[in-house]
Amino acid sequence: MIPLRADEPDYAKLADADAQAVNRYGNPIQLLPDGDNGVSLNINGDAGIGDNANRTRQHAFHFTADNCIGCHACEAACSEKNDLPPHLSFRSVGYVEGGTYPDYARINISMACNHCDDPVCLKGCPTRAYTKHPEYGAVIQDPDICFGCGYCTWVCPYNAPQLDPVAGQVEKCNMCVDRLEVGLKPACVSACVGNALDFGVVENVPARREQVDAHIPGFPDPNITKANIRFQQRSPTAHEFTRPDSAQVKYRRDGERGFHPVVDAKDGGQSGNGNPAKAQWNWARLSSRENPLLAFTLAVQTAIGAFATTFLAGHGSGLVALAALVLIGLGMAASTAHLGKPLRFYRGFNNLRHSNLSREALATVLFGGATTLYLGADVMGWPHLALGFGIAAIAAGAATIYTMVRCYLIPARPFWNHWHTAASFVGTSLALGAWVALALTPGWPPMLACAIVGGLALELAGLLGHARTMRTAQHEGAVSHFVQTTTVGNVYRLRNVLLIGCLMLVAVLAISGVAHPLPWLLAGLAGFAAAVLGRALFYVVVVPTTMPGAFFWKNKGFEQHARDLGLAANPAVGVPLKDH
Amino acid sequence: MLFGRRRKNPIRIATKAVAEWKYATCGYCSVGCSIEVGVDAGGKPVTTRGVGGADVNRGKLCIKGLTQAQIFAAPGRGSEPKVRDRISEEWQRTDWNSALDRVADGFKRIQARYGRDAVAVISTGQIMTEEFYTLGKLVRGVIGTNNYDGNTTLCMASAVSGYKRSFGADGPPGCYGDFDHTECLLAFGSNLPEQHPIIYWRLKEALEKRKFPVIVVDPRVTMFAQMADIHLPVTPGTDLVLLNSLCHVILEDGLHDEAAVRARTNGYDEFAATVAEYDPGSAAKICGIDEDTIRTVAHLYGKADAAMAIWTMGINQSTHGSDGVCAINNLNLITGNIGKPGGTSLSITGQCNAMGTREWSSCSGLPGYRQLENPAHREEVGKFWGVDPAFFPKQRGLFQTDIFPAIETGQIKALWVIATNPLTSMPNTPRIRKTMQNLEFCVVQDAYEDVETAQYAHVYLPASVWAEKEGCFTNTERRVNLTRAATAPFGNSKPDHWIFSALAKRWPSAAKMPWPATSEATFEEMKQLSKGRGRNLDISGMTYEAIEAARGLQWPMREGDAEGAKRLYADGVFAFPDGKAKLLALPYRENNERPDDEFPFWLNSGRVVEHFHTRTKTGKVGDCNKHSPIPYMEMNPDAADALGVVHMGYARLVSRRGDAVVMVQRTGRVPNNMVFVPFHFHECVNRLTLGLLDPHSRQPAFKQCAVRVEPANQPEAEQRGAAMRAF
Repeated sequence: MIPLRADEPDYAKLADADAQAVNRYGNPIQLLPDGDNGVSLNINGDAGIGDNANRTRQHAFHFTADNCIGCHACEAACSEKNDLPPHLSFRSVGYVEGGTYPDYARINISMACNHCDDPVCLKGCPTRAYTKHPEYGAVIQDPDICFGCGYCTWVCPYNAPQLDPVAGQVEKCNMCVDRLEVGLKPACVSACVGNALDFGVVENVPARREQVDAHIPGFPDPNITKANIRFQQRSPTAHEFTRPDSAQVKYRRDGERGFHPVVDAKDGGQSGNGNPAKAQWNWARLSSRENPLLAFTLAVQTAIGAFATTFLAGHGSGLVALAALVLIGLGMAASTAHLGKPLRFYRGFNNLRHSNLSREALATVLFGGATTLYLGADVMGWPHLALGFGIAAIAAGAATIYTMVRCYLIPARPFWNHWHTAASFVGTSLALGAWVALALTPGWPPMLACAIVGGLALELAGLLGHARTMRTAQHEGAVSHFVQTTTVGNVYRLRNVLLIGCLMLVAVLAISGVAHPLPWLLAGLAGFAAAVLGRALFYVVVVPTTMPGAFFWKNKGFEQHARDLGLAANPAVGVPLKDH
Repeated sequence: MLFGRRRKNPIRIATKAVAEWKYATCGYCSVGCSIEVGVDAGGKPVTTRGVGGADVNRGKLCIKGLTQAQIFAAPGRGSEPKVRDRISEEWQRTDWNSALDRVADGFKRIQARYGRDAVAVISTGQIMTEEFYTLGKLVRGVIGTNNYDGNTTLCMASAVSGYKRSFGADGPPGCYGDFDHTECLLAFGSNLPEQHPIIYWRLKEALEKRKFPVIVVDPRVTMFAQMADIHLPVTPGTDLVLLNSLCHVILEDGLHDEAAVRARTNGYDEFAATVAEYDPGSAAKICGIDEDTIRTVAHLYGKADAAMAIWTMGINQSTHGSDGVCAINNLNLITGNIGKPGGTSLSITGQCNAMGTREWSSCSGLPGYRQLENPAHREEVGKFWGVDPAFFPKQRGLFQTDIFPAIETGQIKALWVIATNPLTSMPNTPRIRKTMQNLEFCVVQDAYEDVETAQYAHVYLPASVWAEKEGCFTNTERRVNLTRAATAPFGNSKPDHWIFSALAKRWPSAAKMPWPATSEATFEEMKQLSKGRGRNLDISGMTYEAIEAARGLQWPMREGDAEGAKRLYADGVFAFPDGKAKLLALPYRENNERPDDEFPFWLNSGRVVEHFHTRTKTGKVGDCNKHSPIPYMEMNPDAADALGVVHMGYARLVSRRGDAVVMVQRTGRVPNNMVFVPFHFHECVNRLTLGLLDPHSRQPAFKQCAVRVEPANQPEAEQRGAAMRAF
């Protein structure tokens, strides 16, 4: 237990006299049966148990947005307590601003982890690094287990898990459970200078406060994860709030209290004068830290498609199986390279119960295994066995694609959270797979050409549906679509032209029965280019439901600028030199 | 319910391995927070925390205080004395004896050749009071130059001057506890949440317990302005007009306290005649606050049983800074709001020990608010120190802002700069850079060897910083608080107290003077000098132990007093000989640069919460610096659009003095005709400022001048910006 000081001020002490039975989501606040005081949290090996009467109740931060002055004391206290390097922070203060001088207002938002009822980080984490403790309802992540895939940072709508590119692992807010055990509020709360942050049993109204709400402008939908954060925000708000960071999002008021994200072109000269933003190339923007995932998804989808189309068309061959295995191997290598700690790759199967990522990894391995056995049976000339293994491989491949799609259907990333993701993954699998199959299968079987056409058509249908939804969406997906059609708009157009051209060419070739390899090769290259560009766009234009950043800190645009310009070489700038 | 818990590793939470907590007073601003430095078993400072039982901060610290353990072993700390013959040469390391010999020889040589006053000393608000006192003894009693001033001329000189002109002596009469009693708070050019976060917290606590109106006068919509009940977005530099007009309404509507005016003030008639000219209708045209609002605020203030006014640089750093302070004092004198709970004129000071230098450094006179102009004071101090009173000049010499022009014109040939960085902090730094080249001999004494001013030094003396040494600071509410040495000095650096005493020994005349070896012994010496009838600045009732036990004591605290005094002038007796305060007639005169066609924007400057002064400390603390690592300006989006200046792009600011490159932050916080630039960054805002001097305080008007904004060539601006950021 940490030592208590004699002159500890009252504001730093937990002060919940009572608690409600259920929270606003209908979940019980008492997390263990009456009389069960939980177990020791074993903090730094200390077997002691705190004597807090509310120890097994869900606790939460309460944030009075009216009061936050953006003084960073909470962040500094947190970083100081958790001994974090400058580029890392478990709590960050961003802000939104609205109105016109002097009728101007800034709303600062201090945000850490919301220790959700439904922690999507815990569910998503393939290594089971997360635990939701019935003690205080704290969601705590263990960096010693984490292998740095960063998937939790994708699924969390609030930017709570922090991927440290230097250490190659994720860390996050631990609710200062060591302080809670001795009756103290977390370090950030005790340090708050504006009387904005408070902490206690969830749904309780803190002293001198009247509101316990779950919304403020800039804060994502709390229902995604049943977030345990409560707000007070009574001061009048502007019609529209902008963000100081580079994210092209602003928030527009709808109704009395609600806000929804809309596009903020942010180009000053361009959009400010009412001119529509122009489509650009920006090739450099297409490369990101997710490049290995681009390779992984394309390779695995192609492998499954190649095997499945030939097998189902009755042209199954050892050669295609071998090609699929090579692709699977390359894909797995790429995805392992993407990890912050690649040597811990084996932990990827730890969370089959909850994590689609674990399931995807397992399904991919099973597909690889079944394909290997199929290849063995084929080489040995055992057709019945080959048929059985082939069917198993098809099943594993379908499971792979299914879990892969599920991995990307993330409410915190609205651009991906659409059926187009499934259409794209299945379509790519069919089209690219069938092409590989076509190249390795003598006689240009028409079934394979049909698969290509079908895959491309599916992809195209997905894109059309996606664009229609995103254009008018009232969420960050609209922003992604805006970026897609402006910042990298020419690439987007090129991909669409390639896709349509390829589809038409293959259809014509197939119908007219052309067997000359050259036009097929051309069409194949166009299809491949479209797939690569499309997948790159998929990764780089996604705008998560993030919390607003500040002008420098937690501003992706400034971080990139600091790296490009060399400012990041100074650790006191707080920007890690590498992005991964 | 999802727990995901089977067998798990122990929860790992960082611990700082603090072996001992050492008591200190925060070394950043003048709020005067009690702070404990946690040192590990090896004696290394690893963290800090606010002292729970301290009245000032009650356990709280701001971002700078919370991260202050990182300043000790920061990059750029000086560990060895260094010398060179010319500023174009490389530095040579040397030992302390040689370095101090060189300093003494240099000063003696210059004085022998050009006269005693050809050596100038520019001090600070950063070191301990005992050190200030020792420095004053050295400069006034041994070296004997009259051109000795502190950097407080850049921040608090107008408050000092205003207090002296209104009340007869320096010293803020109020305290933070006044928030618990006041019924109306009027803040001028003070951005508490950003500059004095813990005072803001004390105010917020008071407001949450008992609501009272808060009025903020500021041309920017700061967080404080946003939180206020009434925000008056005043035209820069016109506070005096607003204040005169508030007094006009109060007198016109009979809201003033006639009894208090009659019993405690002189000068009413002339004052009333002057404010009669500032009817709200006419004033509105100058200060930009409409007539109705002026009347509303005047009524609010005038009718409150207890009302207080606070101010910071928005008042002090203008061409009528001293007049502005006097005008605030006028307002409080006519409403009977001085010396009573909740009624006061409280200047919110800047540096941790700006008050200590005002009280004890002898910069503007002699120690303990004594004056060179007063023969009795010269006699008293001369006798106490063992110095011939005739050795003291008969009136104070040049202010810091007049020392540089005297270097420029060749009257001053040697300069000793102590813990301040005029190369960044003075207005019009291109001129200062040129001026510094005229020096024959320059000594820089600082904890950081990368301080820009060292570029012009011939001797660099590495000083210990903050809790590497022992001594007192005085805060904004006259609270003397103690810092214990928490850790050993960095490298071969030495406490300033040691440096001053060791340097003094280079003059034979110092031999018969007292040079106590410790800060505590020096404090005891100062106590003797603080006694005297009618002296408010009396610390004779304090000891180091009592100060630490009480977490700071407020002066006056006379021998035998159980505690310090919360307020000055509670008895209605002011420091002028007749005991009455002065109501001053303060006509507004427009003499500053204003935006015009060529330079259409007001340039406003100020602090941000994460940085302190010229960033020699906070620029190296990542958890502070990361919130604003490069210079930027706030610019109104409409104005930016009109010029094609984009968010997060770079722009060039040009004034009649020079130019600067900054990143653009578009925000509605500033009006269409103003840009705001934080002053912390070297080679930045003070390349542009005019800094016209206040006639009374000689403080520069940093906050009002004119610039134009040019969209910059982005790649060039980026490179230029990066090249100027050593830290």
